[in-house]
Amino acid sequence: MKLSRIVPLLVAAAVLEFFMGGSPSHRSPVDWFLLATATVARSGDFVRAVLAGAAAGFLEDGISQRMLGLNAFAKAVIGYALTIVAVRVVFGGAIAMGAALAAAELVNESLVALLSALLLQSPIVILSRDALWRAAATGVTGGALEAAWSFPWQEWWKRRRLRRLR
Amino acid sequence: MRPQSPLGEIAAVNPRRGGIVLAMVLIGCVLILSAQAPGRGGRGTVLQSWILTASAPAVNLVASASRSFWGAIGSTGELFRARAENERLRSDLDRAQRELFRLRAEVKQTAAEGRLAAGSALPGIVRSVPILLVEHRSGVLSALIAAGSTDGVVPDSPLAVPGGLVGRVVAVGRGVSRAQLLLDASAAAGARIARTGELGVIRGDGKDRLTLNNIATTSTVAPGDWIESAGIDGIYPRGIPIGRVESVSRGSKLFLEVRVAPSADFTRLTDLLLLSPSPATQENPEVGRSATR
Repeated sequence: MKLSRIVPLLVAAAVLEFFMGGSPSHRSPVDWFLLATATVARSGDFVRAVLAGAAAGFLEDGISQRMLGLNAFAKAVIGYALTIVAVRVVFGGAIAMGAALAAAELVNESLVALLSALLLQSPIVILSRDALWRAAATGVTGGALEAAWSFPWQEWWKRRRLRRLR
Repeated sequence: MRPQSPLGEIAAVNPRRGGIVLAMVLIGCVLILSAQAPGRGGRGTVLQSWILTASAPAVNLVASASRSFWGAIGSTGELFRARAENERLRSDLDRAQRELFRLRAEVKQTAAEGRLAAGSALPGIVRSVPILLVEHRSGVLSALIAAGSTDGVVPDSPLAVPGGLVGRVVAVGRGVSRAQLLLDASAAAGARIARTGELGVIRGDGKDRLTLNNIATTSTVAPGDWIESAGIDGIYPRGIPIGRVESVSRGSKLFLEVRVAPSADFTRLTDLLLLSPSPATQENPEVGRSATR
C-alpha cells in the first residue's frame, strides 16, 4: 500500500475515533486505528504495516493514553503479526477477518495493560467487559467492512439492472 | 492482499526486513516510553502536550462536527419522542379534563347538598333530589324530581329546602316522581305561628303566596311572624319553616286572613331535600289526602 493511501487512512481513523467519540455515549467501541493497521497489514508489506501500526498507535496514545508509545508498541507488533497472517495463511472472509481483528484487539489490550503495569505500576486489567466489548465491536466492524469490500458490487448492480429491464 | 510488483512482492514477503523494522520501532517505543518526562504543571508528558497542542484545531473541528451530527440525530429522536409524548399528554389532558369535569360536577353536587343540609335543622333528611321540571299551570304548581321508588321515594314524602317547606311527593315512578308544591292552589299543610303557638292550616294561592287559615281574630299574629309546620297533618314534620306573615286582615268570618310569604324561594328551585315520610303516612296512606284540599 502506498504512503499516499496510508496517511489518509490514519487520518480517517483519527477522525472516526473522534467522530464516534462524540456520540451520546462519548465512547467509540471500535478501534479504528487497529482497523487502519490491519488494512495496511493485509497488503503484505511488513515494513509499512509496522510503521503504520506504530504511527496509528502514537496517534491513539496522543488521544487517549497517559504515556506515548504504549499503543504504538502494541500496534507495531500487531501490524507485523497481521502481515504474517496475511502473507502466510490463506485468509479471507468476513467472519475470519472479524475473528482475527477481535483477537488482535484483545492482544492490543493485553500488551497495553502489561506495559502500563510495568511502567505505570497500574493493575493489570486484560479481560474487562470494556475490552471484550471493544474487541467484539472491532471484529464485527472489520468483518462488515471486509464483506462490503469483497462484495461484487458491479456484478450485483448489473444483475439488478437486467432484472429491472426484464 | 497482493503487492503491486514482483520486486515489491519479494520485499513484502520477506519478513526479515520487517522484523528489523519492528525491532527498531519497538526499541524506539520503549525508549520513548522510558524517556518520557512529566510535563510542566502536571499536564502530562511534554511530547503528549505538543501533540495535543498541534492537533487541537483539527480535533476541535472534528469534535464540533461530531457534536453537530450526534446532536442532529438526538434532535430527530427527540422529535419523534416529543410527538409520542405529545400524543400521550393530549390523551392524559383529555382524561384529566374529563376527570376534572366529573369532579367539579361532584363538588358542585356535594356543595349543593351541603348547602341544603347546612344551616337547616330539617328532620329526617333522606337525600337531595334534583328538580327536572316545575309546572305552573292554572294554579297547579308541581315539580318532577329525579328520584323514584328505586331511590327510596314513597308517596307523601315531604320536600324542603333550607329556607323552608316546599311540598310533598304525590306520585312515585321508578326513577322520577311528581311533587305537589306548597304554593299549589290545592295544597294545604298544618301550620303554627312560631311566636304564639297558634295552629292553623296554610294553603297555597296558586300563585306565589300562602294563606294561613283558621286563625282566630283574637290572635296577636302580626306581620313578620314566622310560620312553621305544625306536624298535625300526618305528612309534614313539625318545625319546618314555611314563611313569614306578610299581612293580617280581618276576614268576613270569625277568622283572620293571614297572608304569608313563603320562606323558600320557589322561583329558584334546583334541588330539594327529600325528608323521611311521617310514620302516620306509612301506616295509613289515606292520611295524605288530608293535605289536599
